[in-house]
Amino acid sequence: MASAPSKLYQDDVSLVVALLDTNPFFWAAASLPFSEFLHHVIPFINSLLLLNQLNRVVLIATGTSSCGYIFDSGDGNASGNSNAVCSEIIKKLEDFVGKDSKIGKGSNGDGTRPAISSLLSGSLSLALCYIQRIFRSGTRHPQPRILCLQGSPDGPEQYVAVMNSIFSAQRLMIPIDSCIVGAQHSAFLQQASYITGGVYLKPQQLDGLFQFLAAVFATDLHSRNFLRLPKPAGVDFRASCFCHKKTIDMGYVCSVCLSIFCKYHKKCSTCGSEFNQAAPDSTIPDQKH
Amino acid sequence: MPQVRIVARNFMDMVAALPAAKLDKLYDSSFICEAVLRSLPPLAKKYVLQMLFLDSPLTAKSMEEWVLPDGLSKHKVAIDRLLQLRVFMEVNDRKKEPSYKMNQKFQSNMQKYLTTGGTVPREPMPLNAAVRLPSVGELETYAMEQWECFLLQLINSSQVDKSTSFSSSMMRAFQRGLLNSSRDNEAPRLTENGFQFLLMETNAQLWYIIREYISSAEERGMDPTDLISFLLELSFHTLGEAYSVNTLTEVQRLAIKDLADLGLVKYLQGRKEGLFMPTKLATNLSVSLSDASSRKEGFVVVETNFRMYAYSTSRLHCEILRLFSRIEYQLPNLIVGAITKESLYNAFENGITAEQIVSFLQQNAHPRVAEKMPSVPENVTDQIRLWEADRNRVEMTPSHLYEDFPSKDLFEACCDFARDYGCLLWQDMKKMRLIVKGGLHQQMRDFLRGQR
Repeated sequence: MASAPSKLYQDDVSLVVALLDTNPFFWAAASLPFSEFLHHVIPFINSLLLLNQLNRVVLIATGTSSCGYIFDSGDGNASGNSNAVCSEIIKKLEDFVGKDSKIGKGSNGDGTRPAISSLLSGSLSLALCYIQRIFRSGTRHPQPRILCLQGSPDGPEQYVAVMNSIFSAQRLMIPIDSCIVGAQHSAFLQQASYITGGVYLKPQQLDGLFQFLAAVFATDLHSRNFLRLPKPAGVDFRASCFCHKKTIDMGYVCSVCLSIFCKYHKKCSTCGSEFNQAAPDSTIPDQKH
Repeated sequence: MPQVRIVARNFMDMVAALPAAKLDKLYDSSFICEAVLRSLPPLAKKYVLQMLFLDSPLTAKSMEEWVLPDGLSKHKVAIDRLLQLRVFMEVNDRKKEPSYKMNQKFQSNMQKYLTTGGTVPREPMPLNAAVRLPSVGELETYAMEQWECFLLQLINSSQVDKSTSFSSSMMRAFQRGLLNSSRDNEAPRLTENGFQFLLMETNAQLWYIIREYISSAEERGMDPTDLISFLLELSFHTLGEAYSVNTLTEVQRLAIKDLADLGLVKYLQGRKEGLFMPTKLATNLSVSLSDASSRKEGFVVVETNFRMYAYSTSRLHCEILRLFSRIEYQLPNLIVGAITKESLYNAFENGITAEQIVSFLQQNAHPRVAEKMPSVPENVTDQIRLWEADRNRVEMTPSHLYEDFPSKDLFEACCDFARDYGCLLWQDMKKMRLIVKGGLHQQMRDFLRGQR
């Protein structure tokens, strides 16, 4: 996948923005403990920095109610000592998870609605903003890509925001790679990788996670043209309706702005155009009111 | 610029050409492993990462399945490189299929790096040393001055105010291939390689000089392996920190003075011992081991009316621009010139290609124009290429003309004979004339005699 027209350093300098899923509800029940997970991710980050002196890695944590920057290798502090970097990452992650759970409890009162899904749309937006800043910073910059390490299930209420981020990434020609460490496939990330030209992978064995990451996700964008990379068997293109955020297969589409609804509405909630057609009770027999 | 790639990687070719035992000894140091890894082509780097934690060898066939069919040539290049540098070792198992395993020491060093992280080769001096350390900016100006002085001396010894401390035999060794004396009493002229050398980027030029330096090291009693490992380590030092000379070996101490002349390090006298500080040229060394691209600020603005403005005070830049353009004015901070047909023809005579000139202009474009797409106006680049193509309109081949054939059959027999050898250039059926490449003349004569 060709990158946006930019003045590149060399062919294989890359900027990887990695989105780590830190949803405590998921990690409490996951087969792979979070500390083990970090033991795979941190050497992977080191290997990215090893491959090329000019590579940059940014870590963003995806929480349940917020997202935050954890690590930026281009920060300018000592790149030599990786032990300090490792402990710094762990400490920042701990701080972040603490803050995130406080925000989650605060807004929901006594936690009436347990947030099962993590805020993927928020972290995708953060990643895209960071990359946009890099694009505007100067004439020469690395080739960016986004890597999502996701475990929690998709939250249908984030459908619109996630799709918007995916289309922005497609516009900027930034591939979104996904590595699923949870139990189920993620329709959002399948679509994201399909549309932007990234790689979607759900490793069968999580104790070999580093090997999967190094073999598939460490390659720079230029070499991907020559490598045989995993292709998903099928992409789940189901959408969620805009009114109830349910995942639907069949529904109503506004002809002006293409928003999707599961029930008949008189007026489109997104663009405000009115539907002059009569209520089609007869035409759709399985419609339940 | 394909020439650049060949020269820059020649340093790694030199490393690869070391005897196996010495190369294995080099891999004791994890910095050299890192530097070697960074110098590999991108596919090879991926293979190393993939094989890093595998203990058993992988067959070559299974490795070929990693690439798509049109990536096979790159795959072969990557595997060859890995074998040359002895990062991958060939293992013959009972099935007699070639399989590859990673070099043991290389593997353990890299595994350690990934899990515990890299370190610096030596500790910098504590800041309470009484000597005032130059700032990073001063270091950079020092480096550029030294390097330019060296280059100026290289191409034209008469133009330099102060000469470096390289002996004249060393300078001659560097100049070999770049300069030649056309006549005895004239100053040496730059050869075609010399011009290409000047238009290369700084890092590529540095590697070329270092390669010559190391090749001649044996004669001066220095072990090239030691020098190679020192140079590769040098790029992992922190910019702006001073290191004590006492931590260097004997060979390295001798080399430090020469490296200071090139602008790679700055040598200072501390209170009790000598100090050296690596400059940006040194720390950027390992970046440029594979395809290079310097991050220097450009200084050239090219306008659509073929005028050129270069914001530079350096004499070296002036000399380089003079190679292919007509310099009109030289102001305190600006060089004004024009790209003309005569100046370009001059450049082409000297062996510079249009591609080199265009890429030089593009890579050194001033930041104000560099953001524009394209940074050099298309009419200028197109015209440069057209003028170059002008010189190639006629292609000459030495050949012979055969005419006055007595009969058509003989003429056609000759045509077939020449065509069989692939030497038939032109024929005229009506007038029975034939042009054949010069090399076939003797055989043609024998054939004709045989026909009579």
